Amino acid sequence: MNPILIERISKSYKGKKGQRIQALSELTLEVKPGEILGVLGPNGAGKSTTIKILTGQIPPDSGTVEILGAMAGSMQARSAFGYLPENPAFYDFLTPREYLHLVGAAFAMSVDRIKSESDRVLALLDLQTDSDRPLRGFSKGMVQRLGLAQALLHDPDLFIWDEPMSGLDPMGRALVKGLMLELKRRGKTIFFSTHVTADVEAVCDRVAVIVGGRLQALNDVQEILADGIEGYQVQILNPSAELAARFSASEDNGVMTELYVSREALPGFLDLASRGGEDIRLIEPRRRNLEQFFLDIVSRNQR
Amino acid sequence: MKGRLALVTLVLAYLCLLPGFIGQMKERPIEVKLGYQPHARVIRLVSGEFSPLVAEMSVVNLLFYYGTLVDKWQKNIIIRPEYMNMFRMLSTVSELDPYNQDAYYFAQAAFTWELGRVKEVNMLLERGMQFRTWDHWLPFYAGFNSAYFLKDYAAAAKYMQRSAELSGDTLRTKLASRYLYESSRTSMALSFLDGMIAREKNAAVIKTYQVRKEALQAVDTIEQAVLAYRQAKGGNPAQVSDLVASGLIKVLPRDPYGGEFYLDNDGRVRTTSQFANPDQR
Amino acid sequence: MSKFAVLIQVNLKTILRDRILHAILGAVVVGLLLVPAISSFSMRQVQELAISLALSGISFFLLVMAILLGSSSIWRDVEQRHTTSVLTLPLSRTTYVLAKFAAIAIFLLGTGILLGICSIPLISVAAASYPSDQPILWGNLVVALCGDIAKSMLIAAMALLLSSISTSFYLPFFGSVVLYLCGSASQEVYEYVTGEFVRAMHPLVIVIIKSVYCLLPNLAAFNYKVQAVYALPIPFEQIAWSVGYGTLYVAMILVLAVLTFNRRVLG
Ligand SMILES: Nc1ncnc2c1ncn2[C@@H]1O[C@H](COP(=O)(O)OP(=O)(O)O)[C@@H](O)[C@H]1O
Ligand SMILES: [Mg+2]
Repeated sequence: MNPILIERISKSYKGKKGQRIQALSELTLEVKPGEILGVLGPNGAGKSTTIKILTGQIPPDSGTVEILGAMAGSMQARSAFGYLPENPAFYDFLTPREYLHLVGAAFAMSVDRIKSESDRVLALLDLQTDSDRPLRGFSKGMVQRLGLAQALLHDPDLFIWDEPMSGLDPMGRALVKGLMLELKRRGKTIFFSTHVTADVEAVCDRVAVIVGGRLQALNDVQEILADGIEGYQVQILNPSAELAARFSASEDNGVMTELYVSREALPGFLDLASRGGEDIRLIEPRRRNLEQFFLDIVSRNQR
Repeated sequence: MKGRLALVTLVLAYLCLLPGFIGQMKERPIEVKLGYQPHARVIRLVSGEFSPLVAEMSVVNLLFYYGTLVDKWQKNIIIRPEYMNMFRMLSTVSELDPYNQDAYYFAQAAFTWELGRVKEVNMLLERGMQFRTWDHWLPFYAGFNSAYFLKDYAAAAKYMQRSAELSGDTLRTKLASRYLYESSRTSMALSFLDGMIAREKNAAVIKTYQVRKEALQAVDTIEQAVLAYRQAKGGNPAQVSDLVASGLIKVLPRDPYGGEFYLDNDGRVRTTSQFANPDQR
Repeated sequence: MSKFAVLIQVNLKTILRDRILHAILGAVVVGLLLVPAISSFSMRQVQELAISLALSGISFFLLVMAILLGSSSIWRDVEQRHTTSVLTLPLSRTTYVLAKFAAIAIFLLGTGILLGICSIPLISVAAASYPSDQPILWGNLVVALCGDIAKSMLIAAMALLLSSISTSFYLPFFGSVVLYLCGSASQEVYEYVTGEFVRAMHPLVIVIIKSVYCLLPNLAAFNYKVQAVYALPIPFEQIAWSVGYGTLYVAMILVLAVLTFNRRVLG
């Protein structure tokens, strides 16, 4: 059974002067078990709207959403995932431990299990020292980490996170990326939204690009990265004159020469190099990266 | 769905409970409270431009309270009305808005007869006269009070004179002199009450006037009989029942305040109720 | 512990950790301590005044707390987006609303009892300084206190209902203040219009007043202060009616609050 099944959902909001804002149109998406799927889109693309519908906070105007076979918003569906809201806000008179107690109780966990799991997630997100301090005095990053901690508490198989890296410092970002990969290793499914391409590149199996409320692309991240290879950067020690004549050097410091070989020319280059017994020190793919891929989609839509 | 069912059930249960609930709420001891009021100067400071309105609302509150009191008297339920607070509230009103006529008229109606606060009422009326310089009723009341209750005929004549000047009704001075020298106290009071009833709008106040009038009429009847008895027999009757026995009165009139009429040693008509409601004695 | 119990606990903590509450509570305690001193100003009613001051002080505190807590509850959670995190947990909105009310009710009950206990020695001291011709019926005082607590709970339920609809402080706050004022006066007005001195009013007006009376909360039902102050007898039947009425009314309000909040779309 697919953890998440989104079928042709549309959603519009009431805007100013009775206008309708079409936040989502006919979005269809399927999240497979054990994958990390990133939803990438510019601000206002409809990512949070999608996640609010998934978590049952708002109903779609049309279409259906299933979470592990249960209707989105149902008690069964809500028990199935760990949710991190965008810029979460928690009762600020409580301490992290007290809040985790509430979350644990909501998932019908035993008091002992709540205690041990709280210790685990607080350690995981580096919050132990602040675990008994009221949330009033917490920085944005600390609240974000508590948000992740409470989403991890009952150790579900599915995670739905809205912008998990926002508000975090570089250490925090690295921590979360590591955490995601670790969860994937344990067979968990993660559905998260972001507007940062580097995050997708670092952790995602697949990426769904949403612009203007429509799904614009749904790709395997590795494929994009492979498709994106345009040529290669090659470093050769004292290349032969023939090689140097056919491939223009981009840099030459007398000892090491750097060449650019286009994707189509690579077989010819390798052939020539092996015949000539060239001393190749480095071949590095030169790719049009994910960011370029994303920007292309966005600009195509704006035209 | 379940929630709506619960709501419908609850509303039905509530509707079933209401009649019984409303019925027993009426049985409870009087809940109308006047309460303590801060000092007039404080209220005036706080209420600012609204002080006439506050005065007006206080009077309404007071009249309403008085209405429930009268209601309870009718049913013979004994309670302790807050007379001190009532009077304080009236003087507060007269300070908040010295032109408010209700305060003076109501004081005259409620605090003279049964409660015997005639001096205080006259002081309040004096204050009113300083502001309501055109109002001929205030000196008229003060004149009546001076004559009937205080027996201060000189003061009464002065007030009546003023009232007559203001009203342009010269009859009033004559009326006053008739009151003062010719008539018995009872008929003086009766004609005063008739005038008051004719002018009053508030039902509760009218009701009190009527009770008083009934009592005074009873007294008048007995007094006339005593007079006739004296003329016939040359002496005072020993008891009121003698008047019935000698056929001067058919049936002994009832005291609307719930007392029994009797004659004192001088042959004057008295009642065990002292012309007051049970809680005022 | 059940979800409901934990939610109540969380709400109670939020209530109890608020500094504003501490300030108000402190002011009330100081006020209560002044009761013997203020009562001594009365000439003949020292004991009566002490009882009525203490009960009124507690009643006023409970009323203020009920209105403040009730009217700053649900909409504020929505506005501050606490609902985003709490209501996406497997917690039903029904549980959420009822726990909010339960926490406020427990708070009102607790502080009511606490302040009631505090006022026992104060009333005793005042009463001893000028013995009244009436006894102090402590049972009546307890009934009066319970009545005040029940009244504040009803107001809190009203405020909660309004705050489940509202998106700001204004509607629940002013709404519950107005409902309180109307609810306190409704019995008087009803008795007035059904009394014998009303002839001037149009019958339609009277019908309207009577139906509004049935709709509004009747706070006079919970007022036993007169009986407490003047040691009047309180028939058991009367208490039973008040309890029955209060329970039904609060239940209705809460079901209404649950229904409206369940229908509310939280964006
Ligand atoms: N509650 C709302 N009322 C009106 N418009 C909204 C509301 N929430 C979101 N929108 C609009 O819907 C669009 C999508 O918003 P959102 O899903 O929050 O975008 P994202 O999370 O991708 O930045 C935006 O144009 C936004 O302005
Ligand atoms: Mg967003």
